Amino acid sequence: MAEEKKEVLDNLRRAIYEYNNELAVESAKKAVEIGIDPLEALDIMTVAIREIGDAFGRGELWLPDLVGASDAMQSAVPVLEEEIKKRGENRESLGIVVIGTVFGDIHSIGKTMVATLLTAAGFEVHDVGVNVHAKKFVEAIKENNANILAMSALMTTTCVEQENVIKTLKEDGIRDRVKVMVGGAAVTEEFAETIGADGYDPTAPGAVELAKKLVEKA
Amino acid sequence: MSVKGYVRNFKPLEILTEGQIEQIHAATLNVLSKTGIRFESERALKLFEKNRCKVDWESNRVRFPASLVEESIKMCPSQFHVKARNPKNDMVWGGNRTYFQALSGMDIVDIDTWKTRRPTRKEYYDGIKVLDFLENVSIIPWYTPYFGFKNVPSVMAMPEGLAARLRMSGKFTAAGHTKGCEVFNIQLAHAAETELRTMMAASPPLTFYEETVEAAYRIVEAGFILLPTSGCVYGGTAPATLAGSLVTSNAEIIAGIVFAQLVRPGTRIIVQDYSFPQNMRNGSPAFGAIEISMHQAAFNQIWHWYGVPTDGAVAYPSSKKIDYQSGYEKAIIASLGAVSGTNTIWIQGAMYGELAFHPYQAIIDDDIAGMLGRFLEGISVNDETLAVDVIDEVGPIPGHFLNKAHTRKWWKQEHYVPGVADRLTYAEWVKSGQKDILQLAEEKYNDIIDNHKIELPLTPSQEEDIERILKEARDYYKKKGLITDKEWEDYQKDLSSKNYPYE
Repeated sequence: MAEEKKEVLDNLRRAIYEYNNELAVESAKKAVEIGIDPLEALDIMTVAIREIGDAFGRGELWLPDLVGASDAMQSAVPVLEEEIKKRGENRESLGIVVIGTVFGDIHSIGKTMVATLLTAAGFEVHDVGVNVHAKKFVEAIKENNANILAMSALMTTTCVEQENVIKTLKEDGIRDRVKVMVGGAAVTEEFAETIGADGYDPTAPGAVELAKKLVEKA
Repeated sequence: MSVKGYVRNFKPLEILTEGQIEQIHAATLNVLSKTGIRFESERALKLFEKNRCKVDWESNRVRFPASLVEESIKMCPSQFHVKARNPKNDMVWGGNRTYFQALSGMDIVDIDTWKTRRPTRKEYYDGIKVLDFLENVSIIPWYTPYFGFKNVPSVMAMPEGLAARLRMSGKFTAAGHTKGCEVFNIQLAHAAETELRTMMAASPPLTFYEETVEAAYRIVEAGFILLPTSGCVYGGTAPATLAGSLVTSNAEIIAGIVFAQLVRPGTRIIVQDYSFPQNMRNGSPAFGAIEISMHQAAFNQIWHWYGVPTDGAVAYPSSKKIDYQSGYEKAIIASLGAVSGTNTIWIQGAMYGELAFHPYQAIIDDDIAGMLGRFLEGISVNDETLAVDVIDEVGPIPGHFLNKAHTRKWWKQEHYVPGVADRLTYAEWVKSGQKDILQLAEEKYNDIIDNHKIELPLTPSQEEDIERILKEARDYYKKKGLITDKEWEDYQKDLSSKNYPYE
């Protein structure tokens, strides 16, 4: 058992380093099957992705590596989350983030980078994808009990949608439950203030620092 | 890390028609047989006379028959192996390969005042360390990085410089000649188990002086590589027309080739175009001029036609600073040289002709070399690069390619990542202190000096040999009276410094 467990956890780690989605899913399933604590399995992957994120920060790894590792992790997370729920356990994290690119905008790379680096830093991240309607953000926040909403918009024509999402949060009465951070090429510090966001940073590593600060304040 | 040669995978630029090449060739033969070349060397004149040339002993002029010229050109290998001190850095010159080589300067320049001064011994050695590090420097030529250094008598600058390059790098190097120092240079090369390249430079128009010829004898007899060159100036020491200057520089270079092939048949030759228009305001060479590229493109094409490897892109800037002008001058000359099929390109380091060298400049220039090398490799088209399977897998949005194994495998092979150029986003740039290229180069320089280790340093016995040869050279020139007492005194102090030879 101990050996089998070790092998499964090694495979989970390897799946991240080798950007191998199939191995990640397969190993997550195996972990559940042989009764490994899903939190422990998740932790193994988080450590691996943190190392990848750090290497990216040092300029040793590149965007395709970061995204590859993130993809592998994202494909295994739902399997483990289901087991966590089943067991009635709680994931410990710095905070719970819902992240996505706003409606009308299909740019995913910046958003994915931030999502990966947030995961690496120890946040629980729910990536709701691109072209996301305001209502869908609201649902995701409620469903995951998120305390951070991170929105991306790359174009001057779509960054105004971030304001619309904030408005929707207010209408729904959950604006106070989440800190809102915005980013993307078209967004500026000034704009972020105007629309009533809680924070903005122009770079992906900066967004992680910002998220940490926002959680401390909360 | 072995040196990086780039294979050009497309046809070179052709600035001349086939008919124009033939016209230039015919005109060159005409000049060689009718006007002739002056050789200030009795033994060379005798050699030519014995081999079907007409020698006029009054004017020391040699007139070459066309048949001898054509035979001699045919004897030059069109491709050959070049042995560096570290076998990993061996090269093949000729064909469709291109290597980059550092470009020397007389002095170092102060980055704050842009004034030049003589470098110190440590600066000389550090400069080589940087060139050893830079991945696109394959050749560290003669008097590189600087012509000499402080407290070293000028007559010893070449042997001391060669010794420094052998100590600080395993890359291929070269040596010049002055006052017979090639004798010591050849010994140094043997001690370090490397080959050398030396130039045989005509003194345009149409003349070779004795010292040059004697040095060429020694290098060719040693079995090393000869680089016949013409440093002509269009409108001064060559006709003002590009076609006319191609004829005189061709004639000068061919005279060098005939000489080399008579001394030692099969001698490895690489021909160099080292020519400039005359600046008609002040009489100096017009560095950075576009006509240099036109001349070099034609030169590269003609020598491809002859089947002799070319050194046809010397990217001297006219700018005295590391600035926009030096960037475009170097990039244009190097680019056109690269696409016109030269086998070597001089680029890393120099400012305003050979006025000065600076390691920051070399670091920045190395990115130009890397970009051009990438361009030369061209576009690879096959099933895997066409990527039809992965295109099908990704499909339209929301699909993307960033997370695909195909991307991870290929982007590094297909995309050149510069060593120092600013490729940040505006936001990242602001956040990281708004650094310009000089600041980035300075950071890189400090990193190289602190961390770079020379691969395969000289063995203790090689080092001993080198020190012995240098001592012989010092004593020889002292005895010959080519080092003054004051120079000798400073030199001795320099040699007894604590960390000799490094500082």
